[in-house]
Amino acid sequence: MFFSSLLNAAPGAIAQGMLWGIMAIGVYITYRILDVADLTVDGSLATGGAVCIMLMRAGCNPWLALLCAFLVGMLAGMVTGLLHTRCGIPAILAGILTQLALYSVNLRIMGSKSNQPISVDKYNLVVSQRFVKELSLRNPLIPAIVTLAVLIGILYWFFGTEYGSGLRATGANRRMASAQGIDTRVTVTVGLMLSNGLVALSGALLAQYQGAVDVNMGRGAIVIGLAAVIIGEVLLGKVFRNFALKLCAVVIGAVIYYMVLQIVLQLGLNTNDLKLFTAAIVALFLSIPCWKDSVRTKKGGVRNA
Amino acid sequence: MLEIKNVSKTFNPGTVNAKTALNGLNLTLNDGDFVTVIGGNGAGKSTMLNAVAGTIQVDTGSIVLDGRDITRLPEFKRAAYLGRVFQDPMMGTAATMQIEENLALADRRGQRRTLKKGITAADREHYIEQLKILDLGLENRMTAKVGLLSGGQRQALTLLMATLQKPELLLLDEHTAALDPKTAAKVLEATQRIVEKNNLTTMMITHNMRDAITYGNRLIMMYDGHVAVDVSGEEKKHLTVEQLLELFSKASGSDEADDKLLLS
Amino acid sequence: MKKALALVLAAMLLVSMAACTGTAPAATTAATTAAAETTAAADETSAQTEADKTYVVGICQLVQHPALDAATQGFKDALTEALGGAVSFNEQNASGESVNCATIVNSLIASNVDLILANATSPLQAAASATADIPVLGTSVTDYASALEIDDWNGTVGGNISGTSDLAPLDQQAAMLRELFPDAKTVGLLYCSAETNSKYQVDVIRGYLEEAGLTCAEFAFTDTNDVTSVTQKACDSSDVIYIPTDNTAASNTEAIANVVLPAGVPVIAGEEGICKGCGVATLSISYYDLGYATGKMAVKILTGEADISTMPVEYAPQVTKKYNAANCEALNVTVPDDYIAIED
Repeated sequence: MFFSSLLNAAPGAIAQGMLWGIMAIGVYITYRILDVADLTVDGSLATGGAVCIMLMRAGCNPWLALLCAFLVGMLAGMVTGLLHTRCGIPAILAGILTQLALYSVNLRIMGSKSNQPISVDKYNLVVSQRFVKELSLRNPLIPAIVTLAVLIGILYWFFGTEYGSGLRATGANRRMASAQGIDTRVTVTVGLMLSNGLVALSGALLAQYQGAVDVNMGRGAIVIGLAAVIIGEVLLGKVFRNFALKLCAVVIGAVIYYMVLQIVLQLGLNTNDLKLFTAAIVALFLSIPCWKDSVRTKKGGVRNA
Repeated sequence: MLEIKNVSKTFNPGTVNAKTALNGLNLTLNDGDFVTVIGGNGAGKSTMLNAVAGTIQVDTGSIVLDGRDITRLPEFKRAAYLGRVFQDPMMGTAATMQIEENLALADRRGQRRTLKKGITAADREHYIEQLKILDLGLENRMTAKVGLLSGGQRQALTLLMATLQKPELLLLDEHTAALDPKTAAKVLEATQRIVEKNNLTTMMITHNMRDAITYGNRLIMMYDGHVAVDVSGEEKKHLTVEQLLELFSKASGSDEADDKLLLS
Repeated sequence: MKKALALVLAAMLLVSMAACTGTAPAATTAATTAAAETTAAADETSAQTEADKTYVVGICQLVQHPALDAATQGFKDALTEALGGAVSFNEQNASGESVNCATIVNSLIASNVDLILANATSPLQAAASATADIPVLGTSVTDYASALEIDDWNGTVGGNISGTSDLAPLDQQAAMLRELFPDAKTVGLLYCSAETNSKYQVDVIRGYLEEAGLTCAEFAFTDTNDVTSVTQKACDSSDVIYIPTDNTAASNTEAIANVVLPAGVPVIAGEEGICKGCGVATLSISYYDLGYATGKMAVKILTGEADISTMPVEYAPQVTKKYNAANCEALNVTVPDDYIAIED
């Protein structure tokens, strides 16, 4: 009974995981590639949702609305970048400041309302939870996979270019990058723009998926993003060495996170303890490689003795 | 090639920690000079290098490189004309990127980075040829992450990266100080080869008196933020370590020579 | 590497495809089973047929909160009274995060529930988005028209959605304010900017108050952190303050009380919990009663007695004028006899 309903819930969890995976890729770019802790994402996720939903309610084409959400997300990233590189504010604080300001900006975008619905019955949504179990082209898993494939492909190409390598160098060793003629102020800002653009895109898709944008929907997003990045690395880091595969690992991390959440819900435990159990199960996952290692060394030691 | 005119730099001015690192420094380097720089701790050697590279901004004076006034240029803009090797082997390369990626980065120093492919097949062949010069077997490990290399190998790689695009000025900041004697010797040999082959104007800071005498055509001793001794040509070739120590005492006006100097 | 990735992704897809049924959700399967049972048991007594049916009701509550908790309890009590052991509940709480609502609703649908209770706006939106077949009853939602983007609102949502609204008649609340404070000239409207329900109530009551000749000003705080400073600002320029059924205010009544009582500004609250903490009077609806009314609606839907697509949104069964004795005394407010004191 438990497993059959868990299986039943799997498509929804996977779809949500994939959409959050886009956001996790954005976090991966700043956290791992640029080595910058960017907290703007808590605000830019909702910004993406707000821009997309409000544009669609005004009659805009859904794909165009998604593109606009991406661009506005890039603007948010630019603000953080400028605060950090031109005003000398540490990256974490710059991100917090932008995220703080975005709360008001988001409310404005949403017409001073904190919640705006978007009904799948009235609009042509790109993804919607309504069809997640259908075997048809309306199933949100399809656009999710296609979007991810395209995004990962583009990022794989981009970070292989001269400019993209410069960005990676900035994150790997900022002093050396500067010594090699790279204007690190610009590359850091570009990285933040790219990351927040992706986060906003993810927010836009999520808002469509759940049928509404809520001004608080981004709160705690950075935690989910980081959890996805780290789960992906810890579980698949040794296996996936190629950059494109690393990004896939991040998405898989997000999917695993949502599957875990789904499992916790299906277990029917005390509902107040949802967050506690989620944290415990994620911690369990993350401890697996560490225990695997220590078990291996113990065995090896006994054999060599 | 390089003209440092009346440059001064004070750290933490007006506080109790104020330190005048450069004090009316004047120095002129001619094309092709290979200058070794020695001096006690706090003499201003690294500060001078950092000032030329743009890592720090000077308070007064001017720095002119090949006729170009670079005094107010930011570091990354000056990088187009300079090659640098740092004392810390970790600093000159990106540990998480591959050898060939590091070389590709250095290859594009001074150029606009576009959306063209980061490394082409032609690039790879060129880098393999270059790595052979170092004689460390790195040409067989082009896709290895730099973090896996030893300190000496990383320094050698940094040296190659600094000279891939022939720089107008090569700055070496005690680049063998963190290496064991055997590797240090290898890196210095490589330095000599590359500098000679490309006829590079070079400034090398070192604490090793013997190296200071052996390498280069000119020797500078710094004291208290300015040049105290400047020896070149034949005179330099025939210097001995004892003579150098004497010169240092005279210039610094003290009989106590620095421990580090003595230990070389 | 690419092969491994392809295999993993393919496996995941297969799993999800396997779980993808057609469009045959719980409601129809329950109906078919019920129909089969009825025909099979046509010879037996109707009481036995009823005893064979079991129902699973899913509950998605937005956040832990006395009012919402009371609504859920009332709902469950109504169902248990009518259907006894035949009904079981799958209760989930989103812990305050609207994005969890989609996950919870997904889980409820996957467990084949016969009906979903959406307690608050975000759960309602998530449920509406996720299913067009399983009946969804909302509660603790103030305005269905704006929550679900319904034009030409006529009182019934239609489709698979209905529910109850916690909107206490705002015109009566405005009248209460004027009854207690006939000399007041300025009213401060205090609420949390992140709550649409609050904004809605503030906009509507503003209309009534301004019609009566009062000047209104809005004071919106973003979250717990600026409640105190915004309340102070409101006190500085208002004779009376009105707080709607705002969740954040309800969680911070102590902080608000610490500002309004020393400042001597009375607060009319949109619900009893807030009044108990920092207000003088309120037109109280009981969230428990509201939940109970929702439960009665659910019973009708589950037993097939009513069709959800024709059920209009119901409102609180009754309102009571209540006052906070201690605060009234502290602020020297005289209260007419038909007011009931809030118990401690």
